[in-house]
This record gives sequence, structure tokens and C-alpha cells, in this order.
Amino acid sequence: MAEDPLIRVRGLVKSFQGVRALDGVDFEVARGEVVVVIGQSGSGKSTLIRCLNGLVEPDDGEILVGGTAVDTHSQREWRLLRQRIGMVFQDYSLFPHLTVLRNITLAPIRTGRASPAEAEALARELLARVLLPEKADAYPGELSGGQQQRVAIARALAMRPEVMLFDEPTSALDPETIQEVLDLMRSLARDGMTMVIVSHEMGFAREVADRVVFIDRGRVVETGPPVAIFRDAREERTRAFLAKIL
Amino acid sequence: MQLLLDNAHVFLGGIIQTFQLAVATLACATVVAVLIGVTSVLPFAWARLVALCYVEIFRDIPLLVTMLFVYFGAPLLGVPLSPYWAALISLTLWGGANGAEIVRGGINAVPRHQTVSAVALGLKRWEIFRYIVLPQALLPIVPPFTGLFSNLVQATTLASLVGVTEFFRIGNIIVERTTIQEGHSPAFLVYGFVLLTYFVICSLLTGLSRRLERSLQNRGGRVVRVAVKPTESV
Repeated sequence: MAEDPLIRVRGLVKSFQGVRALDGVDFEVARGEVVVVIGQSGSGKSTLIRCLNGLVEPDDGEILVGGTAVDTHSQREWRLLRQRIGMVFQDYSLFPHLTVLRNITLAPIRTGRASPAEAEALARELLARVLLPEKADAYPGELSGGQQQRVAIARALAMRPEVMLFDEPTSALDPETIQEVLDLMRSLARDGMTMVIVSHEMGFAREVADRVVFIDRGRVVETGPPVAIFRDAREERTRAFLAKIL
Repeated sequence: MQLLLDNAHVFLGGIIQTFQLAVATLACATVVAVLIGVTSVLPFAWARLVALCYVEIFRDIPLLVTMLFVYFGAPLLGVPLSPYWAALISLTLWGGANGAEIVRGGINAVPRHQTVSAVALGLKRWEIFRYIVLPQALLPIVPPFTGLFSNLVQATTLASLVGVTEFFRIGNIIVERTTIQEGHSPAFLVYGFVLLTYFVICSLLTGLSRRLERSLQNRGGRVVRVAVKPTESV
């Protein structure tokens, strides 16, 4: 029997002030898969990714994580799930009053996933991985945007998540620092990390994604391998979107 | 000048009383301010309404009126209060309301994405408040709070009107006594001395506030100005 997808979403609906941001979305992510979600601004892709870790509560629909249905109204259930689902935001959102090391170790220690010594050892290991081993004692304000985003990725990885969600991780970065973040994400993909990425970086999507999902007006219009989507999209709306940005 | 030296021990008694009242007021008002300030940002509408009512009532009534109301109203409820306690309670109510606004402003100055990213890490609500929101809220809270302390020290002079023998009242008594006994009024000299003393105390507090602000900024703190309605009703 095939393994359950790590994340499965059925008929997800979410409205904001009468406007449907998600209009019956079906979506799934297999373990080890890299899925890149593309679409215009306001198409619902950020709402979708935020629904996957309970930051946005859907009005209707079902979310299953590891084959188990999530009670989407239970914040306690989401809180426990979030310890398995890492999230990286567009604006890095590091805690400015804490050192880089403390930013990374806070959640593993507080949630009981690691002792302080284990958390610090893992944090230093992750900082080496994101090529910032010397910045452990720096404050976020002393880092560039790209460095802050790499620390944010290390912070999410410190929870040893089963899946990483990236909400436009390079949108707020200077062009010269985008590449360093994309390189890190490439290396995570190579290591088999399950990832859902909302991104406007089409070159990156083409290169790294196992599957690309195109969303428009709150609906999944088309999904498939990058080659199929970028070269040979079936739907007119997908072709129109790609024609505008490529 | 001889008059001031002759009455040095009386002035000293007054200034000790002023300090006692000021320190007790600052401590009690801080506790009330934190409690009400935190209540005003809780995710429960009823809690926010209670905090709003408290803040609006005590900020919009002149402190002197509150003090007289507490002093003369308490006996009607069967709780006669000494002038000191009436002054302490009313200064606490007033300082707590103004402090609560500073605390609320400080908490609201913490960007929302900070809370969202802490939520995404699986932290509990109280952990987010304790480790993420509160430390960041403290930076913008400290400077205006020191300003409030200075206001509270000045406001202790109002306690003289319900009979607390604090520094200002001592000055008052010396002026009246000397006028009656010696036939001339030393009002300018005595009140000048009182003015100078309050000026020195409050200047020290202001200086301390500036130092604290600079020290926070030097430590990489992001000091956000907290918008608070001027405390004109002292």
C-alpha cells in the first residue's frame, strides 16, 4: 500500500471579508517532495501555506498531516503540529532582542524537544550549515537580510521538522543576497527535506521542484512536474501567467 | 537662609514623608499599570473593556478630585482612611491608569510578525508573551515610565491638601508660622527652596531616564516612542 502523503488538503475554503482567498483547494505533499506553489499576488498561495500550519484557520475543508485529520479549530493541536512543521517567512521575523544562538535554541528548549546543551550544539551545527558559524553571538540587527533569512531557516530546522514551509523567502531580499538563500534551500532539497515553497523565483522552481502547483483565484488550476508546467502547460490561465513573468 | 537652617530637621521630616509616599506610589502604580496594561491587550473583549473603563475614568478625572473623593468617600463606605493612605490610593489609581496606557502602547509597538513567527515555532501563548513580546515591549516602555515617575513625585504635593505632612506642606506650615510669629512672610524664600528641591529630584529622574534610554539604544534596543495622552490633569 502506498504511503500516506505527509500533508493532504481537501476542499479547503477560506474567505476574508466575503472574498474567497481559497475556494476548494485540494493539495498534497509526499514525504521528501519539494512542491513550489506559484501564482499571482492575491491568488491565495500565502493563505494556503499559512493554513498548512494553522496560522490561518480555514472556514471549511480538511487537512491531514501524516494521514491524521487535524482539528483545524484546535489551537492546542496546531501548536503541537507546528513543532513538526517549520515555517520561514518573507520578513525573516527573527527576534531582535535575542542573539542568533538564542533565536535558534529558544523554541527547542521551551517545547522540550532538546536540553539546553543539545539545543546549543544543534544550533552551532546548523549555523555552520547555513555558513554563519561566527554569528552565534551577534544580534539580528547586525546581520544582512540574506544572513537573517539563513538564520531564520536554521531556527526552523532546529525543531527537526518533518516539513518546511517557505512563504516567499526571498521576496524581501536584495538581489545580491537572494542567491545565498536559494543555495541553502537547494541543499536542503538535495538532503531530502520535504518542502512547500511559495515563490516568484521561477528559475529556482524549475530547478528544484519535484512538482509545481499553479494557483489562481483561490483554486489549484494546474499541477505537475516543472518541465510540464513551464514548457507545456495545459491550462490557458497558467500559460498567461507564465507568459507575463518569464 | 537662617530660617531654612533652623528648620532643617522639619524639612527633613517632610522630605522623608515625600519619599515614602513617592516610593510607595511608584511601586503600587507600577503593579497596577502592568496588570491593567496587560489586561488591555488580552484577547477577551470583556477584559479590554474593563481596562479601558479604568484607564479612561482615572485619566479623565483630575487627580485632586480623585484624592478628595477617596479621602472623604472612604469613610462613607465604613473604611476611614488616614491622609497618607488616601493619598497613596488616589496617586496609585491615577498613576496606574497613566502607566497602563504606556504599557499597552509598549506591547502594541511590538510588530505583529514577531508574535506570528513565535506561534509558528510552536511556543505557548504565555511563552510568547514572556520571551518575545515583554522584553521587546520593555524598551519603549522604560523612558516614558520614568517620565511618569517624575510626574508622580510632583503629584505627591497634592497630598498636602488632604493633610499629609509631606515636603510641600512642611514649607506651607513654616511660612504660616513665621508670618504669624514674626510679622513678615518668608513665602518667597521657603517656596523657592521647595521649588528648587523638587526641581533637583525631578531633574535627577529625567537625567536617569535619558541615561537609561541611551543605554538601551547602545545595547541595540529599538526604542519606539509610545504615544500617550499628556497627563495634564495632575
